[in-house]
Amino acid sequence: MSKKQKKAIGTILLYLVLILFVFVALFPILFCLSASLRTQEDLFQNMLPFTLRALIPTKLTFENYVIIFTQYEFWRPIMNTLIVTGLTIFFGCLINSIAGFAFTCFDFKGKKILYALVLVSFMVPFESIAIPLYDVASKLKMVDTYAGMIVPAIADGLVAFLFIQFFKDIPVALIEAARVDGASWPRIFARIIMPISVPVFVTAGLMIFMNQWNSYMWPLLVARSKEIRTIQIAISAFSGERAIKWTYIYAGSLVSAIIPICLFLPFQKYFVEGITAGSVKG
Amino acid sequence: MGGIHIKNRWLPYVMIAPTVILICVFKIYPIIASVIQAFLSKDGIPTFDNYKFLFADKTFWNSLKVTLKFNIIIIPVQIVISFIMALLVNAKVKGIEGFRTALYLPFCVSLTVSTVIWQMLLNINNGVMNSFLSLFGVRPIGFLIDKKWALLSIILISSWRGCAYWMMFFLAGLKGIDRSVYESAKMDGSGFFSTLFRITIPLLKNTSLFVLVANTTANFLLFAPVQIATEGGPQGSTDLLMYEAYKAAFVYSNRQRQACIVTILLVIVIGVCVIQNKFMTEKEA
Repeated sequence: MSKKQKKAIGTILLYLVLILFVFVALFPILFCLSASLRTQEDLFQNMLPFTLRALIPTKLTFENYVIIFTQYEFWRPIMNTLIVTGLTIFFGCLINSIAGFAFTCFDFKGKKILYALVLVSFMVPFESIAIPLYDVASKLKMVDTYAGMIVPAIADGLVAFLFIQFFKDIPVALIEAARVDGASWPRIFARIIMPISVPVFVTAGLMIFMNQWNSYMWPLLVARSKEIRTIQIAISAFSGERAIKWTYIYAGSLVSAIIPICLFLPFQKYFVEGITAGSVKG
Repeated sequence: MGGIHIKNRWLPYVMIAPTVILICVFKIYPIIASVIQAFLSKDGIPTFDNYKFLFADKTFWNSLKVTLKFNIIIIPVQIVISFIMALLVNAKVKGIEGFRTALYLPFCVSLTVSTVIWQMLLNINNGVMNSFLSLFGVRPIGFLIDKKWALLSIILISSWRGCAYWMMFFLAGLKGIDRSVYESAKMDGSGFFSTLFRITIPLLKNTSLFVLVANTTANFLLFAPVQIATEGGPQGSTDLLMYEAYKAAFVYSNRQRQACIVTILLVIVIGVCVIQNKFMTEKEA
């Protein structure tokens, strides 16, 4: 066998393995899509014996989506999640970027200790503090409020770290020049720093979005009531109901996954950079 | 730290105050409070009784055993698979971006939703997995309701999403390796496997250490799939410690028990991470 042939076989094998992995990765999502577009009877009756009909709808219907939005008011948890996520992104980007700027640009007493504190906080896994955190939230009267889901998630060591990494590379001359012109610090931050830092704000915003959109344990503890619960809680409560049709659950699952997927696809570069920053640079 | 180092008496403190205060109140304080609570009785008197009660409880020992078993399987499985996935999508072939995106996608589906979907796929009566297996004459398997299968199913569910996540880190690490290193290895006639073990893996030491530690922490504290799909059952076969801690606090209203379990979990996690750290750095010498 020539070298060329060997290489061709290698490439074919590579594609076969890739296709296998992609199949495993996508099958649950695609099956979920397919099942959400058929009636429960169609889904169950064609399950056995296993044929292509078990996987593909014989007749398409959007009824499941209509029912979860009207009868089960699915828009409510989606709105709740959007409110919680949006506010966390806004405040999270704001205070972490300002703190990051202070850590990069200023010298002050106790800087090292405070910086270490910020770094340590992103190594403390959230699950380990969730239950004692509930006591804190309860003392602050934050149980069953939006604030209970938002405020504890705003300060984020990893997000602050991302900003610090980015601000380090901003040329000193840029800030010096503005200072000579007599610009105040808030003005320098808003007019000079923020416009050139758009990429890191996008990355930070995406990370906060993914964390908040997907968070489960904390909202489960702190926001149980139906009016303010988020999408993940709604889905899990949904799947726990006995009389519910599976096709509704499939439709709900797909709805809750489609928004992060739509955000992830165009911005994947930013997102991967953000999430891996701590491991590669740190 | 780089940057400009300007001196100002009070401004920097004002700027970092919101972040630092929020971190202290919502991250540092709870963890300290939890460790202290484990050593206090219900009336706030220092005691070791909480641990004594816990250690006398068979449920706790079963839960510890399940947690260790779970982690001994899931950590290597996730690390090896996600590393292989990263190697695959790092290949320079046509259309690789599409494959890479496809392999990222499970990460976008939250662990909650993944669990809910897989729960239906793995169902004994109407699940597509059993339907498919029936082609080969396999009798229906109770993936989530059979003691033999439940823990493995939780591992499958968590890994389906988890591997996509950990792959991102390995891929970032692989991208950081200078391509000229590979070129020269190729010139020396180094084959695929010897390049992999002699060059790629040693150069990925920092990334691997990070993934190992972060993966260990994440899996020891895993909660959602068990709470949603099995509630610790059948017969305690998926009763992970984190779920046991949740039950202690919110089902039995026993905060002391919960604080003890969380503290034990933290000690295990820190211990395992220190050992991994030592092992990985020693190898280098």
